[in-house]
This record gives sequence, C-alpha cells and structure tokens, in this order.
Amino acid sequence: MSPAGEIFALSDIRRTYKVGNELVHALDGVDLKIHDREFLAVVGTSGSGKSTLMHTLGFMDSPTAGRMVFEGRDVSSIGRSERARLRASRIGFVFQAFNLLPRLSVLDNVMLPLVYSRDQIKDKRGRALSALERVGMQHRCTHTPNQLTGGERQRVAIARSLINQPRLILADEPTGNLDSKNRSKIMDLFASLLDEGITLAVVTHDDEVAHYAQRRIRMQDGKIIADETRARHA
Amino acid sequence: MNPLGDIINGASNGLAEVWANKVRSLLSMSGIILGVAALVAMVGIVQGMLTNMRASFEMSGGILRLEVVPRDAPESQQHIAGISPGMTWRDIGAIQKAIPLAAYVTPEVDMRWERFIVDGRREFAFLRGVSPDFIDIYRRELEFGRFIADSDIANKSPVIVIGSNIRDAFFRDEVNAVGRQIRIRNQIYTIIGQFAHMEAMVGGRNSLRWQNRINYIPATTAMARYRGNDSIDSMEILADRVEDLPDLIEQVSNTLTQTHRGIQDFEIRTQEEQLQEMRKLENSFTYSLGGIAAISLLVGGIGIMNVMLASVSERIREIGVRKAIGARSHDIFIQFLSEAVVISVVGGLLGLAASVGLLHAARDFIPQGESIQTVPVTAMVYGFAFSSTIGLLSGIYPALRAARLDPIDALRYE
Repeated sequence: MSPAGEIFALSDIRRTYKVGNELVHALDGVDLKIHDREFLAVVGTSGSGKSTLMHTLGFMDSPTAGRMVFEGRDVSSIGRSERARLRASRIGFVFQAFNLLPRLSVLDNVMLPLVYSRDQIKDKRGRALSALERVGMQHRCTHTPNQLTGGERQRVAIARSLINQPRLILADEPTGNLDSKNRSKIMDLFASLLDEGITLAVVTHDDEVAHYAQRRIRMQDGKIIADETRARHA
Repeated sequence: MNPLGDIINGASNGLAEVWANKVRSLLSMSGIILGVAALVAMVGIVQGMLTNMRASFEMSGGILRLEVVPRDAPESQQHIAGISPGMTWRDIGAIQKAIPLAAYVTPEVDMRWERFIVDGRREFAFLRGVSPDFIDIYRRELEFGRFIADSDIANKSPVIVIGSNIRDAFFRDEVNAVGRQIRIRNQIYTIIGQFAHMEAMVGGRNSLRWQNRINYIPATTAMARYRGNDSIDSMEILADRVEDLPDLIEQVSNTLTQTHRGIQDFEIRTQEEQLQEMRKLENSFTYSLGGIAAISLLVGGIGIMNVMLASVSERIREIGVRKAIGARSHDIFIQFLSEAVVISVVGGLLGLAASVGLLHAARDFIPQGESIQTVPVTAMVYGFAFSSTIGLLSGIYPALRAARLDPIDALRYE
C-alpha cells in the first residue's frame, strides 16, 4: 500500500523505442511521486522525455521497465483495455491542440467521455452542463468548436476533462496555442480546479506557466534532473 | 460492460456519421442500392416468366402426357427393321382396345405447311390430322362450333377446326367462321369449330403463338387424302393419374412391340424430360442472375470498404482523441463497423424500395406481366440479408485498422 494522498509512485521507469536499428531511451529511469492536490509542471526541451512521461502517466503508453503504482495499485503491466478504463474514469486530458471533435456541438464534445465510461451515469447532460459552467462556457453549449476562439475551445476541452470527475488532470502544453490574455485565463482556471481538490500535471516550456506550479520538474535525456517544490504563487 | 449498449451506441454513432456526410454516404450506398434493386427485380421478373412457362406446360397436358414418336430400330434389329409397319392407325386402335389406363389417345398426322385458300385469298398455315381425344389431351378451348367427332373419323369427313391465325387471316370481319369453307390442295373443308386464341407470354413473346397457326382435320381424312396409307407421325396419350404412368408406359411399350412385330422402332417420351428442362432453365436463370447480382453487390461492398478506409484515414485524429478520453479499441471497432453496417442496411432498404418500383414498372411494360409479383418476399429477404452481410464484411477491415491505431500516434497525426 502506498501512503494516503499519493496518486502515482513511479520507480525506475524506462521507456525504450526502437527507431530503425537504434534504441531510443525516451524515459531512462524515472522516479517520481505525485501527491494529491499538487500542481506539477514538467519542463524540458523537446526530446527530453516529458511527453512520454505524460503519456505514461495518462495510461496512453506503458513503460518498458520499472514499477508504476497508481492509487496503491501496481499498474506496470496492465492491458490495453484496462488502460482505456483508467483513462475513461480516473484521468482527464487537456491537449495543446484542444482536440475537440469538429462535428459535435460543445455539449456533445463535453459528454463524449461518458460514452466510454463504464459507470452508469444518469444525468449525462446535467453533468456536462455543470462542467461547462465550471469553465464559464455553458452559454456556448450548442455551438460547434470552430465557432469558438482558441481560449474558449481550451475551456471546453477542460470541461471535457472534468466530466468524469477525475482525480488527476494531465495537460500537454495547454497554453501553447493561446495568446497571453487567454493563457492567464486558462491558468487561473487550472488554479481554481486545484482549489477544488484536483491534482494537475502540466507539460510546458513556458516559464510563466511553470511559474503557477508549486512543483517544477525538469527533464533532460529521459531523466528528471531537477525537482523543486516551493510555495504556490498567489 | 454491456455489449448490447455498445452496439446501440455504435449504431447511433454510425447513423449520425452517415447523416453528417449525406452525399458521401449516398454515393457509397449506391452500389448496394443498385445491387439489391437489380437482384430483387430480376428474380421477381424471372419468377413471373417461369410462372407463365409452368402455366403453358400445364396447358399442354402437363406431366400426365406421353408422346410416342418413331425412331430408328436398334443396331441389333437393323437387318429385320423392314418387317415393322412403323407407326400406324392400327397402333391407336390397339392401344384403345388393350390399355384402359390410356384415358385419351390421339394420333398426329402432320401435313406441315399448307396453303389455305378462301375466296381467292391465300394464307399458309399448319395442318394436322388428329382424333377427338386431342382436345381433351391439350385442354383446348373452342370459341365456336365443335371439335372433330368419332363420326368424322369413321366417315373421313372433310371438316376442319381452325386456329385464331386462319380466323384472323380470312374471317376478320365475322366473329364466327363456323360453316364457312376452306380450300386446301384442291380439297374443300367445312369449318366445324374455331379455337379460342391462345396466349402465354414468356420473355415478351407469346410462347403459344404457333398453336394458333395449327388447324386440325380428322386423322382418317388426312391419311386418306394426303398419305394414301395409314401411317401416322406420332401419338399422344394422356393418363388420368401420375401413379398410372409407369404401368401405362410399360403397357404401351408391350402393345406397340406387338403391333410392330418386335421391332423397337418407337420411343415413348414422358414430359418428365420437359419438366427437367424447365427446372434446368429455372436453375440456370437463378444462378446466372444470382451471380450477376452477387457481383454487383460485391462491387457495392468494395465501394463501402473504400469509403470506410477513406473515412478512417480522414479521422485518425478523432480516433486518437476518442482513445485518449477512454475509448477502447473495441469501442472504435464497433463505431466504424456500425457505420459500414448502417450504410449497407440503409442502402439495402432503399434498394428494396427501388425494386418494388421496378417490378411495378415491369408489370406494366412486360406483356402478360400480371404474373410478376411486385413484392417477392423470399428474394427480398435474401437480397437484404446478403447486402447486410456484405456491408458487415467490408466494414471489418477498415474498422480493424481504426481500432488498432495507437492513441499517441493518432493524436500526433496531421
């Protein structure tokens, strides 16, 4: 059993790809613990392994070696469909490119994860509307994504990540496609989620974004080279 | 975990996707629509034709009729074949006397193509000598007058029963030509009866039209006036019941062997062969049309597969998103498979609707098309089941490709 309040415990996680005849060590022995209500920023140059770490934490990818414990359970070698189940129920994803489905309305986009949820959910619409309310987008629920601005789209995407009431939200460069005004709006939104008890892990190379986080992890060559925690920026 | 829910979910997603791409969906459906419509309509039309064919088979005595025709004596009897008198009027008498199972017997004395003359006008038509049983064997209907009677046979009467062709040629203005006279090879015949016009349309042609061209005189008259001997060309025998046929065939064979002095220079033909021919024709129609329809449905299936593959590569990112937010490979598989099935099922239904329209048109345009069913249920069930299966099969590969995509790669895809 892991200590209470510990979401992830990664020890000596390795992820190796084969590109042609060459082995690429995307993660080269990562040790990391993520605790409840943490705001974690993962920084590093491209190719440092931060995206691979995100995919691993988000159950999109599984490590080649090492031990990974999620909510006290060893998930180092679970299968595809179990990983899909965890993605559907425990983790929220926010992407740089928003990744909303263009043909669906805002409301349907937000409800989409519920389609794949294995839980019986009664009031799907009501849940989606309240998620949209949390991000301040309930008034645009009948619009399609291409009728929204980038900032609005990202807020919808955050509402989508909230719909399954996840414990952890993973964001991959969530402000990478936004201007500074929208960037701070999104970061304020993240901060408010943190206050609601959600744990956040954000991949970024934007120092300003990293500034919001109380814990900053720097990666290089598949390794964590710095892990510093400090008082949260007000 | 609820497989039914997954399928309902998938189907509704599929329908939404089909609806969102109306034109593309309609185009990809077109192969299935045409395939199903062609299959059902062709089967319907062929079934209608076969119904007509069966009707005309029944009209010529059906399975109960035997035909006795001359043939060369077998090799072993060649040197003594001359002792047989061949098929003669005496055979008819022998059969009538000795075989009660032969309910009706008639000879045919075929004069083939003759020139008929009335009031200086000429017309060529067939002339045949028969006996009174002919009308019972062929179940022919007289419009006016009577058929050849026993007394006509006994007296070798110069009387004739005409078909609708001669009636139309010479007596168009008068409905009833009974009592009028016709000259054939300088012999005068009095019309005693007039057949009703016969019609059975097969493939747009009256398969019985030749029957309207045949005119009948007493067999004895024909033999006396044209043959000068008592030879006949063939003989028709009708049994009362199918169960009697084997005995009847044997008895006819025995009797004729006797009258022909042991020479096997005759052949007894049953309608079994014709029935077999008809069945063969039915089968060849069914298989060739079925093959054509199957190929067109296959082409339709390839069309669906093509569209589905395009749709998968167009939506790789969407697949990545769906997987990232929790869709299993299995969910994606069902989503894409449902789309293919929805396309083929909707296409199949539209095809069925089109086939009903085609069959309605066929009924109006094809002569004697009333026997065409506008809703051939069996063909429709098969057509629909086949097209749905094709859709399902052609959806499997694209759906598998979609389901196997790695979420990370799919999300990175531009």
